[in-house]
Amino acid sequence: MAILKADSLRKQYTLGGHTVNALDGVDFAVEQGAFIAIMGPSGSGKSTLLHLLGGLDHPSDGEVTLAGQALSILDDTQATLVRRHNVGFIFQFFNLLPTLSAEENITLPLIIDGRNPRQQQTHIDALLALVGLVDRRHHKPDQLSGGEQQRVAIARALVTEPAIVLADEPTGNLDSKTGTAIMELLRRSCDELGQTIIVVTHDPKAAAYADRIVFLRDGLVSRELAFERDGDRGTRLMAIIQTMERLEN
Amino acid sequence: MPSKSTHTAPDSQPSEAVRSAGRRHTPTVNARMFGATIKLAIRSLLARPLRTILTGLGVVLGVAVILAIIVTNASTLDAVTRVFTEASGKAHLAVVNANTKDLGFSEAVLRQVRAAPDVQAAVPVLQGQAVLASDSPDAEVGLSIAGFGRGGLLLLGIDPVADTLAREYKVVDGAFLSLDDGAYEIMLVKNYADEQDVRVGNEIDLITGADRARLRVVGLISKEGPGLLNNGALGVIPLKTAQDLFARNGDVDQIDVIAVPGSSQGRALESLKAALQTRLGSRYSVIYPATQGERVAQMLAGYQMGLGMFSAIAIFVGAFLIYNAFSMTVVERTREIGMLRTLGMTRRQVISQILVEAGMLGMIGALFGLAAGIGLAGGLIRLMALFLAQEVRRIQIPTSGLVISFVIGLVVTLAAAAVPAFQASRVSPLEALRVRGRSRAGWFARHGWTVGVALIVFGLLLVVVRLPPPLGDHTQDAAVMALLLGAAFIVPKALTAWERAVRPIIRRLYGDEGALGSRNIQRALLRTALTVSALMIGVAMILSIRAVTDAFALDIRTWIERYIGGDVWVSSTVNLRSDLARRLNGVEGVAEVASVRYLDVKRILPEGTHESLSLMAIDPIAYTRVTSFVFTSGQGNPERMVSRLAGGEAIFISSVLAEKNKLKRGDTLRLLTRRGQHDFEIAGVVVDFYNQGRVLHMGANDLRRYYGVNDASTFLIKVQRGQSPAEVQERIDRLYGRSYHLTVESNQEIRERAMRLIGQTSSMFDVLALIAMIVAALGVVNTLTMNVVERTREIGMLRSLGMTRRQVAKMILAEAGMMGVGGGVLGIAVGLLMAQTVIGSMNTMAGFSMRYVISPQGIIVGFVVAVVVSQLAALWPARRAAQLRVIEAIQFE
Ligand SMILES: Nc1ncnc2c1ncn2[C@@H]1O[C@H](COP(=O)(O)OP(=O)(O)OP(=O)(O)O)[C@@H](O)[C@H]1O
Ligand SMILES: [Mg+2]
Repeated sequence: MAILKADSLRKQYTLGGHTVNALDGVDFAVEQGAFIAIMGPSGSGKSTLLHLLGGLDHPSDGEVTLAGQALSILDDTQATLVRRHNVGFIFQFFNLLPTLSAEENITLPLIIDGRNPRQQQTHIDALLALVGLVDRRHHKPDQLSGGEQQRVAIARALVTEPAIVLADEPTGNLDSKTGTAIMELLRRSCDELGQTIIVVTHDPKAAAYADRIVFLRDGLVSRELAFERDGDRGTRLMAIIQTMERLEN
Repeated sequence: MPSKSTHTAPDSQPSEAVRSAGRRHTPTVNARMFGATIKLAIRSLLARPLRTILTGLGVVLGVAVILAIIVTNASTLDAVTRVFTEASGKAHLAVVNANTKDLGFSEAVLRQVRAAPDVQAAVPVLQGQAVLASDSPDAEVGLSIAGFGRGGLLLLGIDPVADTLAREYKVVDGAFLSLDDGAYEIMLVKNYADEQDVRVGNEIDLITGADRARLRVVGLISKEGPGLLNNGALGVIPLKTAQDLFARNGDVDQIDVIAVPGSSQGRALESLKAALQTRLGSRYSVIYPATQGERVAQMLAGYQMGLGMFSAIAIFVGAFLIYNAFSMTVVERTREIGMLRTLGMTRRQVISQILVEAGMLGMIGALFGLAAGIGLAGGLIRLMALFLAQEVRRIQIPTSGLVISFVIGLVVTLAAAAVPAFQASRVSPLEALRVRGRSRAGWFARHGWTVGVALIVFGLLLVVVRLPPPLGDHTQDAAVMALLLGAAFIVPKALTAWERAVRPIIRRLYGDEGALGSRNIQRALLRTALTVSALMIGVAMILSIRAVTDAFALDIRTWIERYIGGDVWVSSTVNLRSDLARRLNGVEGVAEVASVRYLDVKRILPEGTHESLSLMAIDPIAYTRVTSFVFTSGQGNPERMVSRLAGGEAIFISSVLAEKNKLKRGDTLRLLTRRGQHDFEIAGVVVDFYNQGRVLHMGANDLRRYYGVNDASTFLIKVQRGQSPAEVQERIDRLYGRSYHLTVESNQEIRERAMRLIGQTSSMFDVLALIAMIVAALGVVNTLTMNVVERTREIGMLRSLGMTRRQVAKMILAEAGMMGVGGGVLGIAVGLLMAQTVIGSMNTMAGFSMRYVISPQGIIVGFVVAVVVSQLAALWPARRAAQLRVIEAIQFE
């Protein structure tokens, strides 16, 4: 069964009497444990789609079903609670709270949910180990590098064991080596924890970590690629680059 | 809200800066650059309208309060002196009795004055208090703290022919007095006549202390010029008639002098004044008419000082709001500034950019502030008028006041923006490339506390030591300011530790999201610290004002309880003949009657100048039978002191006078009497706050001998044992109330009224505390709004993590709650300290003996107010934060 489903999703923005169709009817389904990359030129609607999938915004038309729950009928608080329990977000700018340590930032979703982080200490320790920040756990964000901050953000997204993790250009602000490490990390959380992940990216190398690539163009799905789960990364990369070139012409 | 200014800046501007860097600018280049700077400044102000308004409010507030206080002071002072100037009309000088204005002198002096060279005319005046017989006696005696405007009808006896040389009476109905200067005719002020339902041609019955008479109303005059006297309750009668009515044949109170044209001003007038003074001798004083308002002006000075302190606080808070906004602008625009720096903008250009913005905001804010100030002054003046029982009709707006408040507003704005401007200039071009500038804790946050401790020590020191002479009178102000500033400096340091200590409580109250909000206190530490300081000042003011008024009230209550001795008080708006005492003694149930007479006298100071004091004359023996003197402790046997007073040539002085002049029992004090200067032995020091403690007590025999006064102002009555005071009061009122126009009150009634009056005065000060609190609330709104704007993206992130709108609002409320609790606790500490300081210095300076009482009620009120105000003020920012749209917040830059 699909953990996340989008049905003929539309999003229109009206700006000064001018209507922009950011999404123009997107159908989309994500199976549990999948690792998906969304690609497409700037302005094609990638971020818009991600926001709708995560319940951050309402579609103009269509429906998002998250963990069996149709989002359109929910009010803001209900949508927030669904998001809280089912979605983890990772942003391009790491968006950590400067007053909290790395570990405290990771536990933030638990705190917001009124849970006691202490009772999940082993889980948190495991996450810190996963992102390789055990010895940095007490550092404040301004004492961490960009890559380290993004790793904190990933651990934060995973801490509630959400149904799905949504990442909008998580490597966009990092050098390629650090970016690779981040993608490795997401891949591992998919493989080892069975985490479902959707990543928006411009970078074909990053996209090559995904099993399925969805290409957007002008608010529509223009193409999809699917790979064998344990396929070779090099071949994936070739296929992606070829598709991108073909789509551009 | 992207910053538009970078996108819309004229392209040529930065490159010009690059090209011209390192060489001298020609005037045209300078002018063009300045134009561009102004344009950038306007855009940047318009780009953030909310912040611009909040900042501007700071300027408006500061300027408005300063101007309002200047205008209020000028207007009340003007109103008070105007009465005297207008009443004396065209007179250039006035001759009065040197000893006491109440007594007057022989009209023979008139000839002497008229014969003097350079005197064109001399016009005699006799004044006296009367009441309309038809007017029912006042239910209560007028107890005004300022003691201005006695009520009743003031009669002005004039020479119908000569007086028009000095004064202009505008007759609006009927005619002027006839030339027969013994006629029983009267002119009334139209407003008063209307109130009393009296018309031209009517006959009215007047009661004076000495007589009762019927006069015909011949004319009505308008309420201007002399018609302003006694707030319009004025009757103008012929001089002879006045002498008859008051049994003062051949007497006048004042001679108004009109100089010949050449001597009517400046030096010439001064030398005429001196010449007249020598001619008349020391029994008479030649004065300028306007100086008669001085006593009231003197009294106003105290209140003006309090108001002055208040404007200092307003400036402080205003500066804080401005600083706040500009430092935030700088943090927010770090990237923009860095970018401009990479394009070749120099540090100096960055500073001037920010300062130009501040200057423009300062000017616009100051202009609005002037308008608001005049509005605020309207309210304050009404309050003062009520308090002084003196109508203030004209609002005086001194040009200097306008200039001063405008300049202060502008300078404070620039000064407050200077620190952020400097910070901005330290932004390196590299920071443009970084995602977000890091703000380090500044010097103030790290080391400010040392300055704070020093200031507090200094403030406490001032309680014991006075400032050197020119500043001596401001010692108390300085102490209070030092304490407040000192505490404000300590806040940043204290805040971090404090937050950690209180966080568990906040978590309890607001939940985990509350704890997050509480932590936010540590960010923008200075801004938060200033907000906490503003709350602290508000609470400290509430508390210290309460404590001081409570202490004052307690002191006065003890005094009133003893001073208002006896069981029944008999008084009137006119002075009472002393034979009334015998009649009262005959009333059934009366055990003892003591008469009291108040008189203004002049004391000769050791330097030879003189000061006005109130004299209370009593028969010491009769007085002690009815009530008792309250002696300060450690002076010996009270009975011996009373019999010394009764023995004559002796006085009691108030503790206030004793402290101020370092006088004690056995010393002497010199008074100006009708027998010339005379020394009186100080037989004791008493607690008496009449006329703000500037009071002496004298025996009735001395009063008769040295001042020729024989009547009474008040009778204190003790009822026989077993008799009910209420019944005796009733009996006196029935027998003599109407015919003598008496006000008969029980001790209880007077006490209650006095206490009520004290309460009213305190509440006027409470209003000031309230305003301080409103200002603090404005600070909370400002700071939290800034915080919310600054953390828009962060709030978006939290919402994406599943924080509900409610939780966001709670987080902001918790942050405000933290500030409220911090401000409350600090305010209580500082307030208690301040109260002690103020009370301490009032005791040493004015000779009060106030005791410091901690009022638990004040503490609770102060704390609750701080918390409630902070929560109310946070509602709007919290709502704003909760309503943020997640997507926009995430994309916010
Ligand atoms: N709040 C908004 N108001 C108006 N138009 C918007 C808004 N947000 C997005 N758009 C428009 O919708 C379209 C899709 O935007 P979206 O941010 O989803 O693109 P994207 O694929 O994420 O681009 P990029 O790769 O540059 O991040 C764009 O044309 C954009 O201009
Ligand atoms: Mg995008």
